[in-house]
Amino acid sequence: MLTSSIRSLTLRTTSLRSTQVASSASRLANNGITPRSFSSVLPKMEDVKVEDYFKPVEVTDSGVAIVRLDGPKAMNTISFAMSAAAKKMWNENIADRSDVKAVVFISAKKDNFIAGADIQDIKNMEDKSQMIPVIEDGLNFFKSMKAKGVPMVSAINGPAMGGGLEWALWCDYRVASDSPKTKMSLPEVKLGLLPGFGGTQNLFPLVGVQKAMDMMLTGKEIRPAQAKKMGLIDLVVSPHGLESSAIRAAEELASGKIKVTVPRKKKSWMNWAIEETPPGQSKMWETIDKMIMKNTNGKYPAPYAIIECVKEGLKGGDKDAAFKFEREKFAELAATSESAGLIGIFDGMTSLKKHSFGEPARPTKNVAVLGAGLMGAGIAQISAEKGYRVLLKDKTDEGIANGEKYINGNWDKKLKRKRMTMHKHNQNTANIVPLSDNSPAWKQHLAQADLVIEAVFEDINLKHSVIKEMEEVLPEHCVFATNTSAIPIEDIAKGSKRPDQLIGMHYFSPVPQMPLLEIIPHAGTSSQTIATAYNVGVKQGKTCITVKDVPGFYVNRCLGPFLVEVSALARDGASLELLDKSMTNFGMPVGPVTLADEVGIDVSNKVANFLSNADLGVRMTGGDISLMGDMVEKGWLGRKTNQGFYTYDPKNPKKKTISAEVKEYAKQFQTRDLGLTELDVQNRIVSRFINEAVMCLQDEIITDPVQGDIGLIFGTGFAPFTGGPFRYLDNYGIDKYVAMMNGLAEEHGPQFEPCQLLKDYAAKGKKFHN
Amino acid sequence: MLRSTVTPMRRAFSSAAKKNIVVVDGIRLPFAMQSTIYKDLLAVDLQRHALKALLTKTALDPALIDYVLCGTVIQETKTSNIAREASMGAGIPLSVPSHTVTQACISSSVAICTAAEKILAGQADIVVAGGVETFSDVPIRFSRKVRQKLIGAPKAMKKGPAGALSLLKGLGLKDLAPEAPAIANYTTGEVMGVSSDRLSQKFGVSREEMDHFTVRSHTNAGKAHEEKWYDGEVMPWNGSTEENGIKVSTYEKVSKLNPAFVKPYGTHTAANSSFLTDGASASLIMSEEKALELGYKPMAYIRDWAFVACDPFEELLLGPTYGAKKCLDAMNLDMKDIGVFEIHEAFAGQVLSNLNAMNSDKFAEEKGWSKKVGEVDQTKMNTKGGSLSLGHPFGATGSRLVTTASRRLQQEQERFALLAACADGGLGHAAILERYDN
Repeated sequence: MLTSSIRSLTLRTTSLRSTQVASSASRLANNGITPRSFSSVLPKMEDVKVEDYFKPVEVTDSGVAIVRLDGPKAMNTISFAMSAAAKKMWNENIADRSDVKAVVFISAKKDNFIAGADIQDIKNMEDKSQMIPVIEDGLNFFKSMKAKGVPMVSAINGPAMGGGLEWALWCDYRVASDSPKTKMSLPEVKLGLLPGFGGTQNLFPLVGVQKAMDMMLTGKEIRPAQAKKMGLIDLVVSPHGLESSAIRAAEELASGKIKVTVPRKKKSWMNWAIEETPPGQSKMWETIDKMIMKNTNGKYPAPYAIIECVKEGLKGGDKDAAFKFEREKFAELAATSESAGLIGIFDGMTSLKKHSFGEPARPTKNVAVLGAGLMGAGIAQISAEKGYRVLLKDKTDEGIANGEKYINGNWDKKLKRKRMTMHKHNQNTANIVPLSDNSPAWKQHLAQADLVIEAVFEDINLKHSVIKEMEEVLPEHCVFATNTSAIPIEDIAKGSKRPDQLIGMHYFSPVPQMPLLEIIPHAGTSSQTIATAYNVGVKQGKTCITVKDVPGFYVNRCLGPFLVEVSALARDGASLELLDKSMTNFGMPVGPVTLADEVGIDVSNKVANFLSNADLGVRMTGGDISLMGDMVEKGWLGRKTNQGFYTYDPKNPKKKTISAEVKEYAKQFQTRDLGLTELDVQNRIVSRFINEAVMCLQDEIITDPVQGDIGLIFGTGFAPFTGGPFRYLDNYGIDKYVAMMNGLAEEHGPQFEPCQLLKDYAAKGKKFHN
Repeated sequence: MLRSTVTPMRRAFSSAAKKNIVVVDGIRLPFAMQSTIYKDLLAVDLQRHALKALLTKTALDPALIDYVLCGTVIQETKTSNIAREASMGAGIPLSVPSHTVTQACISSSVAICTAAEKILAGQADIVVAGGVETFSDVPIRFSRKVRQKLIGAPKAMKKGPAGALSLLKGLGLKDLAPEAPAIANYTTGEVMGVSSDRLSQKFGVSREEMDHFTVRSHTNAGKAHEEKWYDGEVMPWNGSTEENGIKVSTYEKVSKLNPAFVKPYGTHTAANSSFLTDGASASLIMSEEKALELGYKPMAYIRDWAFVACDPFEELLLGPTYGAKKCLDAMNLDMKDIGVFEIHEAFAGQVLSNLNAMNSDKFAEEKGWSKKVGEVDQTKMNTKGGSLSLGHPFGATGSRLVTTASRRLQQEQERFALLAACADGGLGHAAILERYDN
């Protein structure tokens, strides 16, 4: 029971399970730390204007000071400047006023409290140890407020994240609105950081160590009802009653009518046993360690630093010492490459929400999805969830039924886990209009489509016939997107009457989990068409990159040489276990062998074959990919047939073994034993992978390194803490990397030769990111 | 004489702009035996899916709907206005009002006729009317005694342990048994099968006739499905339009069954009585002008309708006879003018009793009618199956009758259809549809 109650702690941030490969990274989107465009060093006190950050402080007749936060942007954030303004506001309006009996903090914004600390401030600080006095300054401000000795109440509507929640934690009482936008989280871990404004110290006494660790290690968002239950929030009210309720609570705290204790209520005996007794604690930390190890492979320093901070606080000594410990740890983390990498991803995602293709001709309301297979159903699901009316069309009623079953299955799970309300569930279901050839009105429905996403079988003739059939009923303005992973978009466009309205939208399977979308215009695609596809992709919750119309586009193109190298390594004596272990230790979510099994040996084989016959030349040589081809013939298709490289137990999806038969089979392809080490394997696989990514930049298949980083992290799960292949190169040293590759080329052949751009950057000492 | 006094309802509104009411389209989810394909769904889910299926089939913009009406009989207390919950769940805008009607087995007939009345009254032009029933989930309750105790509990608990103990006083073990919804009529205390058996005796319907009629119903339904006649009317559920209550059998087999209600000599068996069915249906009812404006090709006009009531002790299920007479008289039509009959089959004996009553000079005389209602041409009646074979989800059957009759009018190129159905409580319904010439 002990373990089961702690098991709820999951480290979703950095969860690297196979199907979630990179979905975790996408959650960074809401990480509570917002970037700021202007760069700043510490502002001078006299330059800061209180009115830029706060509405004039109002004091009620009953002595409640109402502080309304109103930063210069749509979202309130805690920046150096804001922090200075806060200090000024407090000193000028509240500190010395004896008639102020209580203080209420509320946001003047419509839908946010404080979205977090300003990430740009951290990025701009060259020497991260300089963070220490700055944080101390902020902390002293909170302490000085507290020192006035009057009750403080936070009134939260909309997100209170990171530093925003830490602000609220300094208060004595928290009121939250029940708006669906209200959520509380400490997401610093997602950026490789920790809550530095006392968060690691102020949270656990209130909600207990287990819940606090869960929040801080996963960065998960807590909704008002749940927050109330765990004691994080004291009162949940309607958004309209937020301010008046907070004022009344402040009055009653001041008068003593409300008394609060920390924690709010007595711990259950179970939680007491876990959190307060030495054997319970040691078991708890052991379990937490295991979870971190399982989910991150120990590749991220932030979770461990957070644990150290909490343990420091639990010692129960001088609180100031614990705060000091916390900010020193923060500065340490801020200086790590992992944090820089994660912040790079976050910045990249933020920048990729926008595009420069102008406005689409008209807004998209109705999205038609052709084909209700796994891909089509997945695309339909995410579109319906975001409010599009989805015209899901398949040939047969059975096909449609299977698609709907898949979608409803996913939604039912969310409903069961309370991640979706019944009403939202029904609305989503209602948004999907199931259509087959038997549906009497399918043409009337399709005539309303603004965007069609075609996900039929990969066959150029079929795609052409579908386009022809559809163009007869689709409205003139409709954009036609094709979800292909192999056929050139240009060739598909040849079957269209309106090629300028045709574009590639390459989703990754399973669509609801995979955060990446490759958008592939062909030479004749209009920019309005690109804008439509991009806007829909972003609204669907995908991170979009625009990629040139070449074989494999970006992600699969990089995977090609990767797959070849895996078979080359098998030839050179690397065992399947070594292949997997080396790459997970590098930081990939799964090793290449597992990856092939998960994706399907047939699919991997198809990609490898397709790219071998494409334009990659020498870069697709060096290994014998018939290793997978022969497996397809044997029917060893991976997890879906319970037999790939691994043998799977259908009753226990977690259990997998390598059978003697497969070992024997792999042996046939081995011609020598080079006694390969983990590092050899990593260098050989990763360098071919990365070299191809840089080739893509060189050939302008991708437009910039940001797209390149995001593409491989979200498309393949490339070790997120590295910040992506380009940031990894910057960090490793491009010249060193080129030298390493040259060595490999000498030993194994020209497939390892670094591309021209890499050589140029190495020669000039340039970096991809500045 | 009667003809002059009975005024069709629509005439009551004739002083205002007289509108024609049309059936634009209608669908049902496959009707299914209790606790089979819908066993995990609530009634509201079934109705929601049916409303959505109607919208999908007709490609109607949900924002255009003026009103939603649904019929149901056994109510889940959580969704007592099931029309509202189903409407919102089906993606119909939250600004579209909706209410639920109930009148036993003719509940969705009420929904449709109320829709027509709303249109005639100038309150609406586009109404979605449906109905639903599930026997896979019925409200099973505590006994009245336990309910009383539970309601009084908060007060009693205030008195401490003694109060809590006092709650148990007077409760017997049998009070703890849960109560399923009653199958007997509240007023008469009689089970419907018994009433129907009595009616059959009165009108001289033999067991043999009933069993032949039953076999005919299943044969017709089976054939209609085999010929895919129901494509477009029955919307696929999980990719299939199969209605699993249809069991094409032989007279020999059916006649072997023991009586289910009156024992040992009763005539009503499990086969010649309709079975407990889950299902939902929906119809799109509009004013003619609105339908044409939106480019629809309506299937039929709803020309006249009647709701009648008779003595539930003696002739519980004889409503169809009274209703049919009322409608035919009002429209000045003869039974021979009717080309399509859709008559609800609660029990084979009940249908045949009504046919006998309609065709009986003696019965007409007893009632003081100038002539009998008329002889129903059975070759034109329920030719695609009926409630005995397709099933009878109480709240959903009325809409099925309207859709099937409308489609038959179009395909068989007949002019008029007569619908008739009986309902618990001595209630009855009849309606006359006219083919719409597109």
